[in-house]
Amino acid sequence: MKYVVYALAAVVAATAVLRRVWRARHGQRGGEPATGSPRRAGHRWTSAGFRERALLGDVGLVAGREIRERVRGRVFRVVSVLLMVVVAGAIVIPAVDTSSPTAQLVGLVPGPGAPPATLIEQVGHSQAIAVRVVDEADRAAAESALRSGRVDLVVDGAHTVLVDKPIDANDSSDKAELVHALAQDLALYSAYGADGLTLAQIAALSHISPFPVQSLVHGAGGAKSTKVEATSLIGVILIFVILTQYLTWTLMGVLEEKSSRVVEVLLATVRPIELLGGKLLGIGTVVMAQALLLVAEAIVVAKVVGSTLLHGTGPAVIVTTVIWLALGYAFYSWLYAAAGSLAQRQDQVQLLAIPLGVPMIFGYIVALTGASSGSPSGLVKVLAYLPPTAPFAMTTLVGFGAASWWQVALSAGESVVATVGVAVLAARVYRRAVLRTGTRVRLSEVLAGPPRTS
Amino acid sequence: MAALLELKGLRRSFGPLVALDDLTFSVAAGQVVGFLGPNGAGKTTAMRAIFDLTDLDAGSVRWNGATVGPSERRRFGYMPEERGLYPGMLVAEQIQYLGRLHGMSTSGAAESTRTWLERLDVSDRADSKVEALSHGNQQRVQLAAALVHDPEVLVLDEPLSGLDPAGIDAIGNVLVERAHAGCCVLFSSHQLDQVEDLCESVTIIDHGRLVVSGTVDELTTSGARRLAVRVEGDHEAAWARRCGGVTVSEIKGGEVRLVLDEDTDSDVVLDAARATGRVTEFAFERRRLSEVFRESVAGAEASAS
Repeated sequence: MKYVVYALAAVVAATAVLRRVWRARHGQRGGEPATGSPRRAGHRWTSAGFRERALLGDVGLVAGREIRERVRGRVFRVVSVLLMVVVAGAIVIPAVDTSSPTAQLVGLVPGPGAPPATLIEQVGHSQAIAVRVVDEADRAAAESALRSGRVDLVVDGAHTVLVDKPIDANDSSDKAELVHALAQDLALYSAYGADGLTLAQIAALSHISPFPVQSLVHGAGGAKSTKVEATSLIGVILIFVILTQYLTWTLMGVLEEKSSRVVEVLLATVRPIELLGGKLLGIGTVVMAQALLLVAEAIVVAKVVGSTLLHGTGPAVIVTTVIWLALGYAFYSWLYAAAGSLAQRQDQVQLLAIPLGVPMIFGYIVALTGASSGSPSGLVKVLAYLPPTAPFAMTTLVGFGAASWWQVALSAGESVVATVGVAVLAARVYRRAVLRTGTRVRLSEVLAGPPRTS
Repeated sequence: MAALLELKGLRRSFGPLVALDDLTFSVAAGQVVGFLGPNGAGKTTAMRAIFDLTDLDAGSVRWNGATVGPSERRRFGYMPEERGLYPGMLVAEQIQYLGRLHGMSTSGAAESTRTWLERLDVSDRADSKVEALSHGNQQRVQLAAALVHDPEVLVLDEPLSGLDPAGIDAIGNVLVERAHAGCCVLFSSHQLDQVEDLCESVTIIDHGRLVVSGTVDELTTSGARRLAVRVEGDHEAAWARRCGGVTVSEIKGGEVRLVLDEDTDSDVVLDAARATGRVTEFAFERRRLSEVFRESVAGAEASAS
């Protein structure tokens, strides 16, 4: 229970930090700097009112505005908090679930041939079930304790395991597993005892560890656990949710500038590529900030609850998730921005976004089924090298430990190259379409013909 | 020599539609220049060409002799016909942002934003969202956005459309003041007579071609003499049509505007009017800009045929 409290505290703390950042930015606007007398006359372009060209210049200014407006929005805050709660939940719930904090109370009735309490505890330990042994006076006292629920089960000295209700064969609860194990092991130890083994020998036998299993084909299959799959599952879902959210923002942002005609004012002083690049850089920065925040949260929460997230391929999956979130946004954002520049009204957005979303949804579903099936399918292995689906498929492969670093690098390289190609095309579409008003601009119109004279 | 914005041989067609047809004219600094013409004459396309917002088939835009590029345009201010601001962004923040995009420092842009919002009487709306403002106030904010960086060239597309008289005065005063401060001010209007008092020079275009260009004084005092005559109880001006040597240019609210042939004696006109009824108005008038436009177009067509 305390882990849930930790997770909630982490969410609350992160929200507070976000709010503070927002307020700081907000406050800046209210408190205008008290500068000296305005120097407007005379050498206007060398006067103090004008800045040196900043490193990123207009791109930086556009990106800055984008970040401010996004972080300030209510949608951003709600989505951020929701994502943090979901991530915390996804880590905390399985961890809490397996650590099973309540010990099973086992009543022990003394008698001839009764097993020592330590043996019962050992059986529990071998099943990863916490066990506490309670001495009962006699069978009658034990039965009444069982009926009243004071103990979960009873071991009768006369080689009987006593339960209150019949146990279903498919029951996988701690109690059921402990009952089966006790029934089996106590009979075994009793047989050892009958054959003359001492208690110490029996204890030694109960401690043996199984032989290691080796496979001829080298792979990570042996080390695989359901927890690692869960890590890549969380990664794939996060990439999908964040990409979907921010790509929609990108598209709407371009459309907003076009439909409000502010783009005409902006393009009178900023080059189209600077305006578009700044917008994507700004939203991309928010994407990465949110991703890193979630990762930091995940690591902290995982450490606190002792989750297996940080074992096995977990760290590799986390790094891959962050990298492919960046690569995925970079690749798709140009396409969504170009689509936004082609639209004329809100209702055309769906029409334009759906074809772009198809490869994403396809990659997502294939990766998701792959991650939960237990082994990567051939399709996942192919999709991991296609830039539109790589963010999902490669993250899954890394989760299975089925991709080495050079394979990841190769796919990332492909994504970068594809992104450059997509950007060139999208910038061209954007430049020609964003100032066109009236009807929806057709792709063929803006791709054909000579480039702009500028 | 005063600074000069030149548009040289601009050509632009949209499919079969010719928007600019070898349009050439220049705008000198220090005066308000009206850029006039009927709807669809090509005014907006020409103004967009100054900011490289439309592809040109031919021609160039020059500022002080040099081709206009991105660095020159940073010193230009533009108010497009389709007003454009971020609807959800706060007024002051938005203007400051546009100032920064034109190369101003943060503090310089903040200072200038405050100055212009006060000057245009919208400083109380500085922290409102643009979408919450009335049409007139949005127009003022849009003008502030064009002025925030103290531009050397100010290009405004239909800045007065849809404004009440107070708004027209407020914006008109700013334009005149900017021009007198040495700025190159070009603004367009399709209502030719509305801007007569505001601008010192006009450039009139039609079908993407220059019709006439000059100072308002030159254009309105040149050409044939014209009379404004009002005869009590007469709204048809039938007497004027019977009178030889004059052309009826316009009849409005009982006042008839007449264009006199070169050898027509105005006394003859006065006699004809008095024969109809009591004459309450009889005055020599300047040409209106709408008349300048009509007569120039007619003249151009006559010489072409």
